[in-house]
Amino acid sequence: MTILGEFALWISLPVAAFGMVLGYAGGRTQRGDLVLSAERTIYAVFGLLLVASIGVTAAFLGDRFEYWYVANYSNANLEVFYKVTGLWAGQRGSLLFWALLLALFAVITVMTNQKKNREFMPYVAGVLQTILLFFIVVLLFADVNPFERLAFTPADGRGLNPQLQNYWMTIHPPTLYLGFTAFTIPFAFAVAALLNGRLDARWIQLTRRWILTSWLFLSVGIVFGMRWAYEELGWGGYWFWDPVENASLLPWLTATAFLHSIQIQENRGMLKVWNMSLVLLTFLLTIFATFLTRSGLIESVHSFAQELKIAYIFLGFMGAVLAASVVLILYRLPQLRSENQIESFLSRESAFLFNNLLLLGAAFSVMWGTMFPLISEGFTGQEISVGPPFFERVNFPIGLLLLTLVGIGPVIAWRRATKRNLQKNFTLPVTVGAATGMVLFGLGARHELPLVTWSISAFVLTVIVTEFWKGTRARARIEGEGHVLAFFHLITRNRRRWGGYIVHVGFVLMCIGFAGAGYNTDSRFNVEPGDVVSLASPFGHQYDLTYEGLSMSIGRGERNLLWQAIATVSVSQDGTPKGILTTEKRQYTNRDTQPMTEVGIRSIVSEDLYLILSAMNDTGGALRNDPGAQGIDLQVLIKPLVNWIWIGCLFITLGTVIALWPSVDRVRLAREKAEGSSELAAAGAH
Amino acid sequence: MKKNGRFMVGLVGVAAVVTYLIWTGVSETMVYYMTPVELIDKVSDDPTFHDVGVKVGGMVIPGTYSRVEGELLHVFTVRDLVDESSTFVVEYRDALPDTFTDNIEVVIEGRLRSDGVFEANTLLTKCGSRYEASPEELLGTGQ
Repeated sequence: MTILGEFALWISLPVAAFGMVLGYAGGRTQRGDLVLSAERTIYAVFGLLLVASIGVTAAFLGDRFEYWYVANYSNANLEVFYKVTGLWAGQRGSLLFWALLLALFAVITVMTNQKKNREFMPYVAGVLQTILLFFIVVLLFADVNPFERLAFTPADGRGLNPQLQNYWMTIHPPTLYLGFTAFTIPFAFAVAALLNGRLDARWIQLTRRWILTSWLFLSVGIVFGMRWAYEELGWGGYWFWDPVENASLLPWLTATAFLHSIQIQENRGMLKVWNMSLVLLTFLLTIFATFLTRSGLIESVHSFAQELKIAYIFLGFMGAVLAASVVLILYRLPQLRSENQIESFLSRESAFLFNNLLLLGAAFSVMWGTMFPLISEGFTGQEISVGPPFFERVNFPIGLLLLTLVGIGPVIAWRRATKRNLQKNFTLPVTVGAATGMVLFGLGARHELPLVTWSISAFVLTVIVTEFWKGTRARARIEGEGHVLAFFHLITRNRRRWGGYIVHVGFVLMCIGFAGAGYNTDSRFNVEPGDVVSLASPFGHQYDLTYEGLSMSIGRGERNLLWQAIATVSVSQDGTPKGILTTEKRQYTNRDTQPMTEVGIRSIVSEDLYLILSAMNDTGGALRNDPGAQGIDLQVLIKPLVNWIWIGCLFITLGTVIALWPSVDRVRLAREKAEGSSELAAAGAH
Repeated sequence: MKKNGRFMVGLVGVAAVVTYLIWTGVSETMVYYMTPVELIDKVSDDPTFHDVGVKVGGMVIPGTYSRVEGELLHVFTVRDLVDESSTFVVEYRDALPDTFTDNIEVVIEGRLRSDGVFEANTLLTKCGSRYEASPEELLGTGQ
């Protein structure tokens, strides 16, 4: 099976190259037979890459340690689940997986466009095959072939890094990759539009679902990664502004900007060049992120030298895509003229533009900070780095401005806001925001950044809730429905708009959660069994933690575990027992010599209690079950509001799915649109 | 056109704010990343450098690690990756990461005090997040 997979990968190379040529030639000559063949090569490449991927998985399941990739990411004792997910555990498999997902999306695009949008399809097929070809070339010629064999067969593999043996880590990379690859489709349509000259908003309307899907997977993928860091890395944080994290944030920032700016093009025929540039930039950043997350480019110059070949291939490809796209945009510049002009500073267009500028500013700062060590070393010879304080200093103010715009954008009028429009929509929210700030200050909140964040959040939530309330009330009155029914009908009749608002609510909730970090507490204790430590939560209640003791469990090689030291702590909150928490040190048999920490988390809506077994006083004694060797270093963190980050992500998912959901009945919708125009006017938003 | 002018002022304003944030952000948070040799040279040339925060990558010398009893204070000696004679003592007051051993490459952030002891605020171990082995290492496993 594995041999077959290797074979399939080699065959996919000429097929993709052939398909690419056919696509462009079909577009130039308008010959349907060429186009059809080009589309068929997409099916073929997908089939071949699927066989190749199955080949890799088969090698994992069959413990074929003669393969370099399997030997480095698996061992005989590894759980089957992690052998299956081995396909994306390391760089080599990930690149194949990326290509497979892209081929899958390409197949879906071809299948759904067999009868329509034929003017785009030749070039779309050509562009998709070009990108597929690039990944196949990388896999075969950049020293990252997952089928590379060692000169000998090791007795066992090195196993999977224990930190990656976590549920979130198995779903985080594929989710991100789905986001990255899905964005290739809008990019392909944009290039097709540049090539065939159909430069109205058509390519945007056609790919709206792909854009939203990609954005959803990017968002969720990033949050999965945060959740993994929070549970598994054992220091209580979820974001460290590390190059790999930043690399995944960059396309998210530009994709978010794109998602907003295309609405101006659809509604007002403006920003055509800007949208083309954003789709190009986002696509390049997804490629950049794929490259960066699976190579050590930023971490050290040494790994850069080892990876010179793949780095040059990637940078060369990105440079070529950039150059070709810029030439195309310049060539089509006369047709990309704006149909309208911005009329007023106080208008929705302007709010959208500021949103775009801020998002791009954030992206630029993240890029700058991430590349700074390389830039400074290149120019001065002295490596200078900037850490989390830099990213926070720059991005917290930008984030707050963006948060404010979330409240302003949806209700400010298109074209030109009147004084009346502003008064009507903002008097109540601004009052609620200010009142929230004062009440929190009165309750003793003194950290400025969280205080400002929560006040603005209250302002934004009031705006959105008011919108929902106005819409529901108007509908209930006009249709004679109950308020609950009217609320659901309101959402289902204009999914894009209300789904978008729900996403905004999710973003606000996440910001509320981020700001909670201003009130994190961190205490360390050295405890013996029976010791009680007390600490106060920022919400006013008190935790009493009793350290019950350490229990050892010696593994028998199952799940590669050598031993586990489990510290048990009983928790009581304001004198009421709340059960027990455990935190562990685990030693795996096959990896490096250090033990891993498993943290204990107790989640309530307002906060997490987070326990870390930092160290044992006497590891050797504890291993021998010596009753005198149970002392440990216990680190106790309280993380206020952290759960609202995850809850916010659920809202974002829900809202995006609502916006994505296909309309049930277009005819009925059209009829209701005619009837319901008065309702919209009554809702007062337009 | 007047409206557009005001609009441009707004755009330029945002761009200026972002640029200002990046500029001050870099100058106030940047950290020199040095090797122990470079740092020792630098402080002997320029004693004010004792107060400057730096990031240093070095190797922990096996057997030098100790923990001060009853305190969360770790002490160990770090040497240059290339020049093994360039060393200094490090004091670190925090929980050590799981990956720390007394034979590992570390990146520490802090300052080299004038008594020659490096006071570290953060410590990262430099093990590959990629965990890939050379063929020689693979030969060693499973035996």
